[in-house]
Order: sequence, then C-alpha cells, then structure tokens
Amino acid sequence: MWKFVVRRILIMIPQLVVLSVLVFILAKVMPGDALSGLVETPGVDSSTIEDMRTNLGINDPVHVQYLNWIKGLSQGDLGTSYIHQRPVLELLEARLWNTVYLSAAILFLTYLIAIPLGITAGRFHDSLVDKLIVGYNYVTYATPLFIFALLMLFVFGFQLQWFPTGGSTDINLEPETFSYYMDKIYHLLLPALSGALLATVGTIQYLRNEIIDTKMKDFIKTAKSKGVPEAKIYSHHILRNSFLPIAAFLGYEITGLITGSIFLESIFSYPGIGQLFLQSISQRDFSVVTALVMVTGVATLIGTLLSDIILSLVDPRIRVE
Amino acid sequence: MIRKSALWIVVSGILFSIILAGCNGEGESDSEGSGAEGQTEEINLNEEVQNDGEIIEDGSLTYGLVSDSPFEGILNSAFLAAAPDGQVVQFFDEALLAVNKDFEITNDGAATFEMSDDNKTITIQIKDNVNWHDGEPVKAEDLQFAYEVIGSPDYVGSHYGSLIQMVEGMDAYNSGEADEISGIEIIDEKTLSITYTEASPAILNGIWSTPLPKHYLGDISVPDIPSSKEVRENPIGFGPFKVDRIVAGESAQYSRNDDYWKGKPKLASITLKIVNPNTVLQSLENGEVDIAETFPTDQYPNAADGENYQIIGGINNSYTYLSFKLGHYDTEKKENVMDRPKLQNKDLRKAMGYALDMEQIAENFYHGLSFPATTLIVPFFEGYHDETIEGFPYNVEKAEELLDEAGYVDVDGDGYREDPDGEEFIINFLARSGSDTSEPMAKYFIQSWNDIGLNVELVDGRLHEFNSFNKMVDDDEQKVDVFISGWGVGTDVDPSGIYGRKMPYNNSRFVSEENDELLEAALSEEAFDTKRRKEIYNEWQAYMYEESPVIPILYSYKLLGVNNRVKDYSFDTTIFGTCEEVGVTEETAE
Repeated sequence: MWKFVVRRILIMIPQLVVLSVLVFILAKVMPGDALSGLVETPGVDSSTIEDMRTNLGINDPVHVQYLNWIKGLSQGDLGTSYIHQRPVLELLEARLWNTVYLSAAILFLTYLIAIPLGITAGRFHDSLVDKLIVGYNYVTYATPLFIFALLMLFVFGFQLQWFPTGGSTDINLEPETFSYYMDKIYHLLLPALSGALLATVGTIQYLRNEIIDTKMKDFIKTAKSKGVPEAKIYSHHILRNSFLPIAAFLGYEITGLITGSIFLESIFSYPGIGQLFLQSISQRDFSVVTALVMVTGVATLIGTLLSDIILSLVDPRIRVE
Repeated sequence: MIRKSALWIVVSGILFSIILAGCNGEGESDSEGSGAEGQTEEINLNEEVQNDGEIIEDGSLTYGLVSDSPFEGILNSAFLAAAPDGQVVQFFDEALLAVNKDFEITNDGAATFEMSDDNKTITIQIKDNVNWHDGEPVKAEDLQFAYEVIGSPDYVGSHYGSLIQMVEGMDAYNSGEADEISGIEIIDEKTLSITYTEASPAILNGIWSTPLPKHYLGDISVPDIPSSKEVRENPIGFGPFKVDRIVAGESAQYSRNDDYWKGKPKLASITLKIVNPNTVLQSLENGEVDIAETFPTDQYPNAADGENYQIIGGINNSYTYLSFKLGHYDTEKKENVMDRPKLQNKDLRKAMGYALDMEQIAENFYHGLSFPATTLIVPFFEGYHDETIEGFPYNVEKAEELLDEAGYVDVDGDGYREDPDGEEFIINFLARSGSDTSEPMAKYFIQSWNDIGLNVELVDGRLHEFNSFNKMVDDDEQKVDVFISGWGVGTDVDPSGIYGRKMPYNNSRFVSEENDELLEAALSEEAFDTKRRKEIYNEWQAYMYEESPVIPILYSYKLLGVNNRVKDYSFDTTIFGTCEEVGVTEETAE
C-alpha cells in the first residue's frame, strides 16, 4: 500500500513541472499585462508605467521570470497580485474558505438528495417512482447552471424572499458569534441548493445502474433463494457493492471543492476562488492566474490519488501493486 | 480632485461601460433588440432624485455597488486603482481642496489655498475643525506624508503622475538621493506650501490634496501599506462617515462622523454591498438597495417603469471615437511620428465620419443612452465643451462629395472607389469583441462605409478580444487602418495625455505643430486666466474637428437607480462626493 502511494507521489513531480511550464508560458502568451488595463488620466506620462513594468519584472526575459517564479514557488511564495496589491497566498486564503464552504455544502446536499433517490430508483426500477426520478435526472442534466441559478435566485431570493440574494454574510452581525455562523449558513443555502440540485445526475445514475446490475448477479439470486430477507440483501450485499464507484468519485469531488463554482459565485455575488479566477484572467493578473492553475492542478493530482487510494481500500480487486 | 479621477483609471471599467454595454445577463439580452426598436422619444433623465418628503433624523441607507466581482479592498486614495474600491472610499475619505463644476480647486473645501505671485507656489491651509476619525487633527504633515508615499522609490501605485513629478525636489526624492522633498515646506501645524518647478494651470485642476494619516500609517513601510490591516480592514479618513466594519470584497458598514468638518451628516449609517449587475433591478424593486451605482444601461428599457425607484443620470466623462492610424510611436525618441500615407487625406477621414448615422447607433445599440459626439472635449466639462461645433451629422451626399473632390472615385466600375492614383483601396477596420452588440455594430459601420463606396474589411476578418485589440493598437500594426475605441478622461480637462506629441496613448499618432502649440498654451502661464484657457481649448477643439485624425462618435449617460425614499441625491453627488447631504424620508425602503 505504502509503496503504491509513494510511487504515485513520485509520478506527480514531473507532472507538476510540466504543468508549471505550460501554465507559465500560456499565461505569458496572452496579450497584455496587468498594467495595460490602466488608462492614465491625462497628465500621467507613459514612462511612469514603463518604470512600474520594470519594477514588477514584467520586462525581464521569460525564462528569467519563470525561474524567479519557480524560486518563489519552492519557498511557498506565490508572488504578489498587482491588481489586489497583496501576496497571492493571502488573497487565496481569504477567498479559498468561502469556496470550500460552498463546495462542501454542495457536496453534502448532493449526496443527501442523490443517494436516497438513486437507491429508490435502482431498487424499484421501471416503476413509476423510478421513471419520475430518471425524468428528474434528464431535466437537471439538460439544464444549464447559470440559468437555473438565476431562476432560483429570482424565485426564492427576490419573489418569495426566503433567502438572502447575495454575499456570504450580513455585515451587521458581530463576527464569531452563534448568529453570525447561522447567518453564514443561511447565505450559503440557496447557492448550495442550486448547485446540488443539478449535481445529482452522476451519482443517481451510477447508483441506479450499479444496483440494477448487482441485483441480477448470481450471488444475490443465491441469497434470495436461501431466504435472506429483501431488506438485508439490499443493505448488506447490493449497497456495499454499488457504492464503489461513488466512493471512487469522492476524490474528484474534493478537487471540485477547490476549483469552486464560477457561475454560482458570480450569480450569488459570493466571493470565492472561481470568481477570482475569471476576474484575474480578464485583468491579466498573471501571478494570481498562474497560482490558481497550479493550485488547481495540484488539487486534481491529489484528488486522483485519493480516489485511487479509496478505491484500493474498498475494493481489493483493483489494487495496483 | 485626483481621488475622483482615480475612479476612472481602470480601462476595463470605462470601456466596458461604453463599448460593451450590453454584455451582461443572458436573460436580458433578448429584450435588447426588441426594446430599442421604435423607441425614438428623447431620453428624459433627471439629474437629481425627485422627493418632496422631509428627511427623517438618523436614517440609514443601503448603497449597492454594482459589480460582478468583489471589490479589491485597496481602500487608500494613494494606492487606489479600481473603480469599485473608489466607491467604498468615497464615504470616508476626501480631498482637502474642493472643486467647482470645471474641476478647478476652490476655497470651499476642508482647506483653503493661495497661489504665489509667480504661480509656482501654492500655500494650503487646513481648517481647524478638520480631524481624522480617531480624533487626531488633520495636519500639514499628513499631506506631506501623502507626497512622500507616492514619491517614494518603493511606491507601487499608479498616481505618480506628471504634476507630482513637477514638485520641486521630487526627482531627487524619488531616486532616493534626497531624504525629503525640498519643494514641500511645512509652515505651521495646519499650513504647508508646495512649490513646482514651473507654473502650470494644471495645478488648479489636478493638484493632489488628499492627505494620508501619518500617525496611523507612518510606521508601515510603503510597499506594505496597500496590504496592511490599516488599509483593508480599518481604514480611516476625515470624511462624513466612519468605517465600522468591512467584510472583504463584499460589504462595508459605515456610521456617521459627528465631528465632520462640514457639520453632522444627515444619515446615521450607510451599508454598502456588492450587487450583481444581473440582479440589480430586482434588488431595487424589493428595496434591498436604495442606490444602485452604476445602473447597467442595457437594463434601462426594463427599468424605466419602476414604481418604487427612479433612474437618474448624467453625462459620463468618456467618449467613443473612430481613430485613423496615421503613423507610429518611435520608442527610441519617445514620440509619435506621422508617417503612414494611406489615410493622410483629411477629407477622406471626414467622409468616413459623415457616413455614420450616429443617431441610429445611439438609439439602436444603446437605448438612447448615448448621443452623437461632436468634439474631443466631453460635455461633462460644461465650461470647456464647445457647443458650436456640429460634429459629423449623418450626410451621405456630403461624404460622397468629399470623396469625389479628394479624387477617390470608382474607376474600374466594381462598386468601390479607388485611391487618387487609381489603385485598389481597401481600408482595414479593427473592431473589438465582447458584447452582444459588437458584431452587429461592426457590420453596421462597414455597411455604412460601403454605402459611400469605400471598401472596408475587418482586420483578420473577425472581431478582436479586448487585450489583443489594445496590443494591435499600441503596437501600430500595419494591418490596422482605422479602429473604434473609447476613452475615460478623468476630471482634468487637459487632453494632452492622449493627444500630445510624446504620448504613447495618442494612438492615431497624429502630430502637428499647431496641435503642440495649442496644448502647450493651455498649460502655460497665460492660461491661469480661465477665460483665456477656455478660448484656447475652443481653438483646439475646432482645430481637431478640422483635421479629424480622431472622430468622436458617442457620448454616453451614466445611470443610477435610486429608491423613492432617498432625498438630495444626484448625479453630482457621485462626482463631488457630497454624501453628507443625502437623507431618507422613510424608515424603510418601499
């Protein structure tokens, strides 16, 4: 097992190097930089801007910039955001938690909705309930998130006014109090629900198919013919097997926690990583873009690793040695 | 009033509002085409919110900052770069010197000033009752400190402009040779004088007079200031409201500064929060925000019949223009060289201007919230904009006549005019992508020019994204002949930054001695006489109209959504920052 993990981690190193080169070169190929977005009010001459470029190192040759960046990276320094005038690390930290909360809530709600529905659909497949659930699945699969989220916001936020319509917290509440945390959850609920209702597709479908598959297997027939109660067959034999792909997926889902949801954050004015990423690209805030791609890349690699580990733990058959 | 001009620095902010107006929600875009058609009546916008009620005591107000991303949080005028941050700062900080309608400094602010006889030295006296939010008096050394921060070799912001560089001894200080700025002298606790290397009326327009609290920020090293807690979480100023709390990037809570030098502000508290442009209309409708700045123009047709709110607005300090590439920028000599022969004929340029029906463009693409531009000084500067210039009203006959006279005639009968030598003549047009209307607009321009017999093609046959567009314009790429772009012009009327000989932003690369002379004259000592200065700028506008290296196309309105309970809030409030007078007439929003 350890050998397997260590080997996977070693493979990650060249992957990361290639990723870093790609990210950096692609970022530099984009026309413009963080300063080209500045239109100077008449009177500020261009030499000021050129000086600023030189000070920021934008005028250095690309390979020098890359080495400087890698040097910083190895010391845990992701650079400084020009647009935000603060270290990228601080910036990410400030935004990361919002995204993690949001994505964790989405993940939680997704499983909360998808698992019961998936089990029901699989157990009573071809019944009316199953058809309804599959119908729901098709609808959510076909619905674009940015429309659905706007609709949710409009109906539950503005029309019914059940939920707040933006932000992550109410400014009037004293931080670190019970009502402050409750308010944060309250603000989280509508975006999380919007995300979760559309995210259930995969889980429901996998679970349903797995259950139907497993149901037909010989060992289930044997159990049935031995007279094992239906409920026990499901809880002991079918579900355990059917959860395998879901468990394997968890690693990837954790990657999603960090990448965040660009649409949701933007529609619900929820300051997180996804929104920062979009904004940084359009403003050519390279240090933030490269840092975010790196972080996401690392997260994806770790997520894949986790998936493999989880899978090999729960399913000895596929353990790679 | 540099602080305010700083609000306009980010080009994305400006250009998006002019050129890309209409790139917001997917839901709204459908209504655009249909809503605009047949909408021919004049737009009648109030500059001030209409409310006959009595202002209640200790009211509170919710201010919606319309943005699809969080505010950056650099809440300090010396480092301010983005428009959203400027909106957060406006409630708690201000400049010492007030300005009039022409953005010239007056003696009505928190400080008074006096110019020396040679117009090189300005003496600024801060009023006695001007105090920081923590009770410390605003001192002369605080303004000196602001200059020391901006002039510091380690300074990373973008406010180290030419006027600040003109302060005596600034060069030496900026290069680290001197420990202090010799041109800034503290006379007593509340008085200081600033001496410039030359006399320029630009001082009256663009002097930096926003102090920084030295007792509060003085111990922080300059590069660390923008990321410090003192700037991001607990900023102080001497404005009408104090910052109580800031939730990074999304909201801010202010309470009244009872000690404000102009007297107690009318509102007891203000809550500022970010509102997504997609949902701003709903937020206004259900009273979630009292003020929405800036209201997206593409949603104006849906908002015009609001019951509990009003849409007010005024003329923006920006314009869209058609520019002709006449040369290139010599990076060695650092000046513009006018050496491209293709579009040197000014009658050709004018014909291209007359061929465009700007009224139609304004109506069909901007819901009438833009109107045809006439000169290169926007009507935002009421005293400087020359109304007698008629611009380029749509006139196909005149355009054709100009082309015929200039020798651009169709000799081979293919429907397109050849150049005076009878050679094939194709004009390459660079247009920007980004909004729903970019494509139809670019097509409309090309069609209009085809109609007068000019063969115009899109560069690379397509539209170009914002950053590559700018790069092609800045680098004077040969394949670009004409392009359409926009400028936000701040609050300083002086256009030499975008039309001067040495300026890389002069992207038509038009230069002439007369142009140099006029622009210089407007900044010379004779122009200290405002009347004379206006005359010079009128001459310049007429000259540029005659030469037409750049043809202004559209001026635009800026819109604000305001709840009916708000009183004494106007377009000017947003420009001159007089939020202490604003009040509400009901406890809660309608």
